[in-house]
Amino acid sequence: MLFYIIRRLFWLPVLLFVISFITFTLGTYGPGDPVVVMLGNKYTEEKADNLRESLGLNRPVLVQYFDYMSGALKGDFGESLRHRGRSVSSLLASKIWVSFQINISAMIVSLLLGVSIGYFIAHKQGTWIDPTIVTIFIISMSIPVMVSIPYLLRLSCLTLNLIPCSGWGGFWDLRMLLPAFALGIPGSCAFMRLMRASTLDVLGQDFIRTAHAKGLSEFTVNSRHILKNALIPIITLTSFSLSGMLTTSFIVERILGFPGVGNFLIESIFNRDYPVILAFTLIGSTVFVLANLLADILYAFVDPRIRYS
Amino acid sequence: MLKLLFQIIRLIIITMILLSILSCNGLIGEGTSEESSRVVNKELERDSDRGNVSNNNISTDENNLKEKSKTNKTPGKIAESKDKSILDLNLKSGGILRRLWSDPPTLDPHLSSDTTSSGIVVEIHSGLVSLNPQLEIIPDIAKSWEVSDDLLTYTFKIRNNAVFHDGKKITAKDFKWSFERASNPNTASPVADTYLSDIVGVDKVLEGITENIAGVKVIDDYTLQITIDEPKAYFLAKLTYPTAYVLDKDNVLNGGKNWADKPNGAGPFKIKEYKVGERLILERNQNYHLDPPKLDRIVMNLAGGQSMAMYENDEIDITGVGMLDLERVLDTNNPLSSEIVVAPPSFSISYIGFNINVNPFDDINFRKALTYAINKPLIAKEVLSDLVVPAYGILPPGFPGYNSDLKGLEFNPDLAREYLKKSKYADPESRDRIVITVPGSGGNIGIDLEVILNMWSEELGVQVEIQQVEWATYLEDLQKRKFQSFAGLGWESDYPDPQNFLDILFHSDSELNHGGYSNKVIDELIVKARTELDYNNRILIYQDIEQNLIDDSPWIPLWYQGERYVLLKPYIKDYFLTPMVIPKLRYVYIDKTE
Repeated sequence: MLFYIIRRLFWLPVLLFVISFITFTLGTYGPGDPVVVMLGNKYTEEKADNLRESLGLNRPVLVQYFDYMSGALKGDFGESLRHRGRSVSSLLASKIWVSFQINISAMIVSLLLGVSIGYFIAHKQGTWIDPTIVTIFIISMSIPVMVSIPYLLRLSCLTLNLIPCSGWGGFWDLRMLLPAFALGIPGSCAFMRLMRASTLDVLGQDFIRTAHAKGLSEFTVNSRHILKNALIPIITLTSFSLSGMLTTSFIVERILGFPGVGNFLIESIFNRDYPVILAFTLIGSTVFVLANLLADILYAFVDPRIRYS
Repeated sequence: MLKLLFQIIRLIIITMILLSILSCNGLIGEGTSEESSRVVNKELERDSDRGNVSNNNISTDENNLKEKSKTNKTPGKIAESKDKSILDLNLKSGGILRRLWSDPPTLDPHLSSDTTSSGIVVEIHSGLVSLNPQLEIIPDIAKSWEVSDDLLTYTFKIRNNAVFHDGKKITAKDFKWSFERASNPNTASPVADTYLSDIVGVDKVLEGITENIAGVKVIDDYTLQITIDEPKAYFLAKLTYPTAYVLDKDNVLNGGKNWADKPNGAGPFKIKEYKVGERLILERNQNYHLDPPKLDRIVMNLAGGQSMAMYENDEIDITGVGMLDLERVLDTNNPLSSEIVVAPPSFSISYIGFNINVNPFDDINFRKALTYAINKPLIAKEVLSDLVVPAYGILPPGFPGYNSDLKGLEFNPDLAREYLKKSKYADPESRDRIVITVPGSGGNIGIDLEVILNMWSEELGVQVEIQQVEWATYLEDLQKRKFQSFAGLGWESDYPDPQNFLDILFHSDSELNHGGYSNKVIDELIVKARTELDYNNRILIYQDIEQNLIDDSPWIPLWYQGERYVLLKPYIKDYFLTPMVIPKLRYVYIDKTE
């Protein structure tokens, strides 16, 4: 097990090196130049040269790359080109934190709804309730957020006057309800389907019949035997989706006025703010690799049949 | 491995969806700042002209402000009616102004070159002189000034009650240091040459030869002397720009890289809190040297959102009205219509540019045919809701040198067909495929351009294609003169002189001459205008240049900005809408008694 984890971790730096190098090269040799964007219609060759020099963009590409990477290894992602004088780490940290909170709220809704409803409809298999609920959830999943959120916003803010129309007020703010449900309900669909399938699977097992035969109460059978076993795939799915917790879609952020990472990244890309783009690529890939590793490890703990070597 | 591949494919799909949805961009972002109800590329939105100011006010101080002659420009209805209340010192204090803004690219006055940054910077920092809501030059930190008889030397008297936010006195030395810091190549200011290079010795500092500006002399603590290279009517106006603002040396040198977030400025407001992408809160500066600001605080939401919805839900106090909401809001049955305010246009022009060295735009007849075939009044009225004014010349109405007698190429389909017949590219086989490049990220290319393409097709049978290029790439290719023709660009003046349009955009050697236009006659006239000392003669030369340019058609001028519509809560008083950024929040107060 330990060996397995070490082997997986060993690949992380290699992967990061490849990813960062590709990102850096694409950025440098692709079209567009941050200095040209910064100067806009004040552009002259002379000003551009001055600016390149003060930003260190006139150095050879490899020097820039290794300079950046050696800083990044120490946790220093350099300075943003667009927000001059600001460190990328501080800029990104606050944005990622906002996105993370949005995702957590949506995840809570997804899990609660998905697990409970999945569990419920598994018991109703064969009745009209099961297909009806599944259909409703699949429809809700198919509505894109750029349709659902403006509609919900109109309803809750302009028509019912329940919450302010936009802006960020922290995790416990009323405005958090909107993304929590708008993202959480479609997200719950996957959990619900999985929960339904795994519950049905467990229900058909011999040990459930044995439990009933032993005369255990309905509650004990449900909670100790069915639920516990049916939750195993949910845990894996949850830990897999952890890797996506750092970003939120910029559409959601734009509409709701949340200072998350999505909008910031899009702006950074359009302004060719390479330090920000690179930093996020590195952080994102690291989290992705670690979250997948965590999922695999968790899996082994929950299901003793799984062994890594 | 397979898992990774799936993830990559998923990422690509997500990216594609995101990009395709970027076309919503224009709709969502519309009207986020009241300065722009028509969507222009933000990066190109620059502060416009500094008013029609003459240098006749040899000596001025705030006491004779009332006697000053009015300029011929009117900065909006409310400005006119509230004119007097600025002067009476009837202090109404208190209140919070809430508005939507976007993250300023910089808060360093010397670097700021866009309206988003300067709209905040001018409220935190100050300079020698500034503009009032009527766009007249008024004393700021300087209480008065004298101009020598040869019009080259300006002697400023600095107020002795002027202090930075922390209470430290502002002296002439602070100004000298600030000018030198702004011009220093290490500061890498994109605008120092535009606003300061009239001062003797600034060019040497910009080139890095010396750090001392010879033309700026400290006479004593409260007297500063500035010498310029030639008599320039607009020099004082240039000093109102943030590049010429005073900074506290200790604050800049010891405040770390982010000193501008915690500035020790000299303006009417201080930064209380700044969270990038979240909010910016300004609070009143009690030590301000002019009339004290009335508002307690200004809360700027930087996170974005739907400006109209927020206004209607009473979350912000001011919003621009975009084209899509205009009809609804102007409807007299809508209670919002009573909150509408009309803002004056800025001095800007949008146009289609041709690269006149390539097929088919190297033929003047072909260019003229295209120009004559566009029915601009029709588009302005039916498509753009009269938010623009059709442009036939280059200098906007009200701008120095604007020529109302200019002979423009007005819509004339017969003439258009005649020119096409005369053109060597009359036969479609003989000309290259015509592509107009516009900036943007998918979706909407500008409805006016779509109509123009249709007009060309109907009147002339000329088929033109649109190519959309993402902003950063667009700018780079524009600089390299890669485009056959381009649109989606505007030009907004930086200071009130025709040179700012005609010289900078059309001289053969100018870097901003993106179409590669080159005309010996015009070049000679431009050079002549540069050294002509008599103001009226210069204007005549520029009008000659403009007429020549129109006859030569290296551009199709499209629109001047028209009046803009803004919604303003009725309890916000003395908020002046001006065609350019000026320090104006100190006048604002809130009166909810009505």
